[in-house]
Amino acid sequence: MLAPVDLPLSALASRRRLADRAGDLALSGLAAAAGVGSVVLVGLIVWKVVDGARLSIGHFGLPFVWHEVWDPNRDVYGALDLIYGTSITSAVALLFAAPISVAIGLYLSELAPRGVRGAVGSLVEMLAAVPSVVVGLWGILVLGPFVQQDLEPVLGSVLGWTPFFRGPHHTGGLLPAMIVLTIMIVPISASVCRELFLAVPTELKEGAIGLGLTRWEMVRGVVLPYTRGGVVAAILLGLGRALGEAIAVTQVIGSAQGINVSFFALGDTLASRIASQYQGALTHLAVSSLVYLALILLVLTLAVNLAAQVIVKRFEVRHGH
Amino acid sequence: MTKTPKLLVLAALSVAVVVPVAGARSSGGTLTGAGSTFVSPLVSLWSADYRSKTGTEIAYSPVGSGAGIAAITARQVDFGATDAPLSPDQLQACNGCVQIPWALSATSIIYNLPGVPNNLRMTGQVLARIYLGQIKRWNDPAIRALNPKVRLPASDITPVYRSDNSGTTYNLTDYLSAVSPDWKNRIGRGVNANWPAGQGGRGSSGVAGIVSNTQGALGYVDVAFALKNRLKFMALRNASGAFTTPGLRGIVAAAATVKRVPATNELHIVNPARGDRLAYPISTFTYVVLPVRSGKAAELRKFVFYAVNPTQGQKLGPKLLFAPLPKVVLVAAEKTLRRVVQAV
Amino acid sequence: MATSLARRRRKNRAMEALALAASALAVGVLGLVVVSVLVRALPALNLDLFTKNQALFGQRGGGLANAFVGSLLLVALAAAMALPVGVLVAIYVGELAPPRVALAVRTALDVLNGIPSIVVGIFVYALLVVRFRQSALVASVALAIIMLPLVARSTQEVLALVPRSLREASHALGVSTWRTVLRVVLPTTLGGILTGATLAVARAAGETAPILFTSTLFTNSVSADPRQPVASVPFAIFTYSESPDPNLHRQAWAAAFVLIVFVLLTSLGARYLLHRSRRNLLAR
Repeated sequence: MLAPVDLPLSALASRRRLADRAGDLALSGLAAAAGVGSVVLVGLIVWKVVDGARLSIGHFGLPFVWHEVWDPNRDVYGALDLIYGTSITSAVALLFAAPISVAIGLYLSELAPRGVRGAVGSLVEMLAAVPSVVVGLWGILVLGPFVQQDLEPVLGSVLGWTPFFRGPHHTGGLLPAMIVLTIMIVPISASVCRELFLAVPTELKEGAIGLGLTRWEMVRGVVLPYTRGGVVAAILLGLGRALGEAIAVTQVIGSAQGINVSFFALGDTLASRIASQYQGALTHLAVSSLVYLALILLVLTLAVNLAAQVIVKRFEVRHGH
Repeated sequence: MTKTPKLLVLAALSVAVVVPVAGARSSGGTLTGAGSTFVSPLVSLWSADYRSKTGTEIAYSPVGSGAGIAAITARQVDFGATDAPLSPDQLQACNGCVQIPWALSATSIIYNLPGVPNNLRMTGQVLARIYLGQIKRWNDPAIRALNPKVRLPASDITPVYRSDNSGTTYNLTDYLSAVSPDWKNRIGRGVNANWPAGQGGRGSSGVAGIVSNTQGALGYVDVAFALKNRLKFMALRNASGAFTTPGLRGIVAAAATVKRVPATNELHIVNPARGDRLAYPISTFTYVVLPVRSGKAAELRKFVFYAVNPTQGQKLGPKLLFAPLPKVVLVAAEKTLRRVVQAV
Repeated sequence: MATSLARRRRKNRAMEALALAASALAVGVLGLVVVSVLVRALPALNLDLFTKNQALFGQRGGGLANAFVGSLLLVALAAAMALPVGVLVAIYVGELAPPRVALAVRTALDVLNGIPSIVVGIFVYALLVVRFRQSALVASVALAIIMLPLVARSTQEVLALVPRSLREASHALGVSTWRTVLRVVLPTTLGGILTGATLAVARAAGETAPILFTSTLFTNSVSADPRQPVASVPFAIFTYSESPDPNLHRQAWAAAFVLIVFVLLTSLGARYLLHRSRRNLLAR
């Protein structure tokens, strides 16, 4: 709809101008409110978490982070068990998910025949949207018995000489949690990797092939260096997701205490402990300690997120996006 | 611009269809409650029966005793339910609440061991050692000594406990503290514990779920859950030396040890002293928590009177292995109930 | 040298085989999860699932009617909050804000996207549940916070695709900013906005963690009252997954299947809308 520039009536024109100004004001007001509101929201979330943890921070201070005991009966709390559980499950999941995601990304961008590329690519993208509670359901009812009766006995007999594959076999524990987290990280990281690899300029790739490099050498020499920053960022984003995952992990990890080197052991993570104990926490200190766990989790995920953003920025600068 | 109006119309239609359905509420109002998973089988029966008799709906969420106490303290619900009696601190935090024993049952020790018969024999001391992580296999000499005629496999024991704050945990730890000084010193009694070994599950349902899903697992749930899910449970040795199962007679015998009810209505009937050979040692009362002043005082009183009444609510209990309240407890319950008054 | 070339070719084949194997393994496992759900869901996919309410203890059968209705309500309310705000934020960042402020808002949105949903649950609990009790409305606020960055980001991306010439022409003709945005820019980007909306809805429909804090004390009957807590599909799957009852397991698989189909349809729909939107914009 265009302004009626040819209407001679100045009254109509001035009313129109008033409506324009009012509308502009309203739009910019609302949009600014929404924009600034988003920043305020983030600040509010951080503030509320810090505020909720205040009692526990005052009680335990920083040593909470390396204190191991979590005893609701005696109202003594410490996060070390959970920081260990979070770190080890995310780290091992990432150890598997990173190369697998890169492999899938490479396969879908370089190696697969045309038809397969589209179908499998779409499949992987849609798998990224499977809710965590569904992966957890599968983790309890399908993965759990398999882990206890088949996987852990085999791993125990083959790799039992290492400290990581020892001990009694359960349907839950660190190992199923790692598997579940890998399943959750891979689809999204693989999709991002695929996009990154597809974005490499074809002249570069064809130039390398033209010089006589094999496809693998082209990937190693051209594609991977070119996309290095983006791939690291994608992996970091996967890590962020793994760190914060509460539901699928709490369904399979066993909600147990203690720090155990073996992956067969039961354990717990920051997010999972919050999910299982928050509703029934009976003392103010218990609630505050759970929020302290959330604060630690928030700091970890923000740090990972920030690192990913910084890497992406440097990556964009280098390639002039 | 044709997509947006279409979607909006679709959204509006779906809401329009749903809202009238939702608007059809029950004629007699609703009482909301939350808490103990232990008592939830019985509350389910009560709510169906109560609705047919009075039209009032009882909306109960089995979120665990701890969450129930938290919910009623925050007045998020009309009543709370817990198997763990409120501590003085919790009573104070609840700001004018009373707890009323309204049901009586027992905690069964369930296990998943294919090929091994039901009602395996167990003692509290051995159970404490299992949960302390000191006994790790089913064919441990301590367990074999109690069950000489049973061929026990060499498989690992996975002790399962409640990861949420649970009145059933309170009941079990109450018992273990009474029979095992080691447990009492190291862990103590409470709605949760610093469990040294084993796997945690959420709610009675979660514990029963892990046990039925894991070979070699052992756990503790109210006996109604064990029966309903056809889980094997153990026969425990009581202070008189007999091995008893959590049946009605065992529970009634344990409850018969209550001679008088203290002012707070807090009752402990675990590990009853030498006397009745039938007593099951991990029996417990379970409580409803009500605010003394409530906007729904009349409905709450009516419901709880129904629940504790021997010919009404209590009559539905036995088929779920909830024994009727002993007379002395019933009297105390009704006396406390009369303190609940309408808030101004 | 022939041997060196042969070695390089062997290595190439080996790496290609590795990539293929890793992909096949990963896609295979992912496919296995979906197939597991499908196979186990089929026996329970009947009319009862959608028409009966959740079974009380000891009852046979039952369904998830109240959970499906509850989830619809939660997602509808959350979308009603997140969509307008998300679009407005994108407009602000893309059209109206000074560059430094736009950067701050974009960073805030990225941070918001990375906050674990359980922390969002704690935040909404501390801010709202403590004061106003659990309710569907409060739960949808939590879901809306999770949806916001998704809507804002995809709207931003599509807004950026609108050619400057379109806006400049509109201004040159004397059309005010707000009319330009409303009548010129938004209609062309509607497909992209809806893409973001559908992706955000798919995400919100499957979120469980925020619900643990905001909507667990619900009744066993169908309710669409936003002032009360409601049942929801992810929470039902969560509780049923931990139960020992095979009947409840079957219903959990069926609900998981419905969720996956919903997510599949919305993401297919989103891709289709994005294609159309891109095609329309680039065809100008």
